[in-house]
Amino acid sequence: MGQGDESVKPEQKPVARRRILRQMAIVAISVSAAGTLLRSKAQAKSLQALAAASRKQWKGESRAQVQYYNTKPRWASWTVPQLNVSDGWSEPSGWMSKIENSRNLPYIHDNFNRLLPVTKLPHHWVMVIDLRRCIGCQACVVSCKSENNVPVGVYRTWVQVVETGTMVPDSQGSVVTDQGTFEPNVKRFSLPRLCNHCDAPPCVEVCPVKATFKREDGLVLIDYPKCLGCGYCINACPYDARFFNPIQQTADKCTFCVQRLDRGLLPACVTSCVGRARIFGDLNDPNSEVSRLIASYPTTHLKTTLGTKPQVFYIDLDGVLAEDGANTFNTLYPYAVGTNTEEYDDLTGKVLLQTPTGGERGTP
Amino acid sequence: MLQGSLVHSGLENVYWGLMIVTYPYISGLVAGSFVVSSLSHVFHQKLFDDLAPLAVLVSFALLLAAPLTVLGDARQPMNFWELMARGHWPYSPIAFFILIWMSYIVLMLFELYFAFRAQNVRRLIRSQGQSRLYRFLTLGSRNASLAGETRDKRVLMVLSAIGILMAFLFHGYIGFIFGSTKARPLWATPLMPVLFIVSAMVSGIALMWVVNVLVMRFYHRPVNRALANGLLTYLVLFVLLDLYMDAVDFLTSAIPAYTQGPVSQGFQRILMYGPNSWVYFGLQLGVGLGIPLIGWIIPQVRRSLAGGALMSLAVLVGVFAMRWDVVIAGQEQSKISSNVVTVAIPWTGFDSIQTVIGVFAVAFVVFMGLAWVFPWQSWNRIPAAEDQEARETSARQQAAQGIPGTATSEGGHVVS
Repeated sequence: MGQGDESVKPEQKPVARRRILRQMAIVAISVSAAGTLLRSKAQAKSLQALAAASRKQWKGESRAQVQYYNTKPRWASWTVPQLNVSDGWSEPSGWMSKIENSRNLPYIHDNFNRLLPVTKLPHHWVMVIDLRRCIGCQACVVSCKSENNVPVGVYRTWVQVVETGTMVPDSQGSVVTDQGTFEPNVKRFSLPRLCNHCDAPPCVEVCPVKATFKREDGLVLIDYPKCLGCGYCINACPYDARFFNPIQQTADKCTFCVQRLDRGLLPACVTSCVGRARIFGDLNDPNSEVSRLIASYPTTHLKTTLGTKPQVFYIDLDGVLAEDGANTFNTLYPYAVGTNTEEYDDLTGKVLLQTPTGGERGTP
Repeated sequence: MLQGSLVHSGLENVYWGLMIVTYPYISGLVAGSFVVSSLSHVFHQKLFDDLAPLAVLVSFALLLAAPLTVLGDARQPMNFWELMARGHWPYSPIAFFILIWMSYIVLMLFELYFAFRAQNVRRLIRSQGQSRLYRFLTLGSRNASLAGETRDKRVLMVLSAIGILMAFLFHGYIGFIFGSTKARPLWATPLMPVLFIVSAMVSGIALMWVVNVLVMRFYHRPVNRALANGLLTYLVLFVLLDLYMDAVDFLTSAIPAYTQGPVSQGFQRILMYGPNSWVYFGLQLGVGLGIPLIGWIIPQVRRSLAGGALMSLAVLVGVFAMRWDVVIAGQEQSKISSNVVTVAIPWTGFDSIQTVIGVFAVAFVVFMGLAWVFPWQSWNRIPAAEDQEARETSARQQAAQGIPGTATSEGGHVVS
């Protein structure tokens, strides 16, 4: 019996061990299989949602592009163009050097004094905006949006339609409100705004990673893949010309349509301006239209006192708007105002900013 | 789909949200708690000797958590490497971050080593050379003598003196980020770095008061009332300095006759009569400066622990409100629109209250880890072997008399 017991025990032990191992293996396999199934289900769901969203969003895009957007939703944008090389567009890796700077112009990040014409630079692109001709039709805004694929809600250029002055209390006045009757003693302006491509740009100087730069021909541009998205340049721009692109999640701004300019075309807003209020050209060329305009008319800039040396020149700009616009005018057109301001509150009663804390801010 | 403050619409927005409010707050706590530790290390105030190791740990934990706030606010945080690869310094104030933060980290590592070296060696000796933790933390040093400890104190004095400068630099550069932005009239003032540093002192001292009391309560130890009252005295001194700085700031930015148009217009429209008036007058000035000053005047309040806690917590709230009034209120002034920009802080998601709580949770976990590793407890401090000689001889006598288990390791100076 004693021998039998001893012989049974060593046999039983490996059997038990094997059984336990087998059970563990089954449990592990089933758990991992269930996990993979669940995960693949969830992935399929999220992919379906993404595909549906992208179908909605990118209706006109090719299948390959939609797939690219699905895999890299944060970069699903025009910043890394997925375009045909035979069309003259390069690969994404080289787009910065080949598309946007075909002449290999130097990039300048600081010490902007070196831009002073010690030696004559080939070009210095500027824009002259003749406010006598602007009718506030917003055609430039539309053409900019379609040319540069600017997302909904943000603008590379926009036309503020504002009025300055006061409403004078007058019993015979034409404006009747709850507070009384007024006669307007105001002046109305349309003020096209865009990046001023300053010669001493604070936005370029403050960029911590040199993602934004001033090209030698005067353009202030952004190298989007290097952008940290810290927002310092957006806060440092006195003209509010920069914004966060809500699709690519980097800083973004007017480029003077550099993709057109490098191919010898005018910026989109200039070509679409119905009254030829926007005139674009080379300031280094004394015979260009901008040079002749600047030579023959008094021009001024926005916020000259900040010393940013803006390169967008205005003819017939009201001094109130030039220096300290923010507190001295009333906005007339709500589609050109900040929808995130109390100004918008006053005009429409609501701000459409969604907050997770409950509903929309500003709703009563 | 993108939600919350990731979605910007319209012409003007508050681009730097709650995370950037938290960034100067945390870095202020770093600088302030470091200065509390240097009260003992540099200025040799014996009263704060027990608190100095804890203050170093708090400062280091918050220093590690500080960059999370900036990364959390950045839209492309994975591009952080560009800061090191192509940092735009000395032109961009933000680009200084890597330089200052990393050198501060290195300095804090040295500070941690020298502040705990003697205790770590003695713990290694007590474990008879077996403890891997203390063998690592001592980095090969085996000198447990009293002379070594005094040498450590001399090194710490130099390190902390440099550290105060680093703390001021670390916090002052954040003030300079705002002070150098000329597009924002409420930010562009040379007072900004000084304002930030002074309120950093205030908040750091208040934090150390709270941490000291909480830790003592946690370990069921009596609170050192002399130490707590000493901290409160420093707190009130810096609150007075902060009051002075706030008065200067108010005079040079709120009164139209004394300043430029956009500055006074923005101040009056946003901080005096606008959406932030209750934060400015109620929280920053009323709670942050009023409560500690009034509490200090009343002896019953300043002598009681509850009163001290009230004063410290009020200061912590007030300094956070001050950061809010700088970061958010400065951006609420519109650049081109004709009214005040609205702001909405989400509860969850990007740049939200949830992420701020997360950052503080990270700092707390890091602090717990550091407090578990380093022997900071004043009541567990092992005295030098010279101090123990008398005890050792008595122990040997006891051992000779046949009482077991009391003999210590021989010599106690060197283990292999």
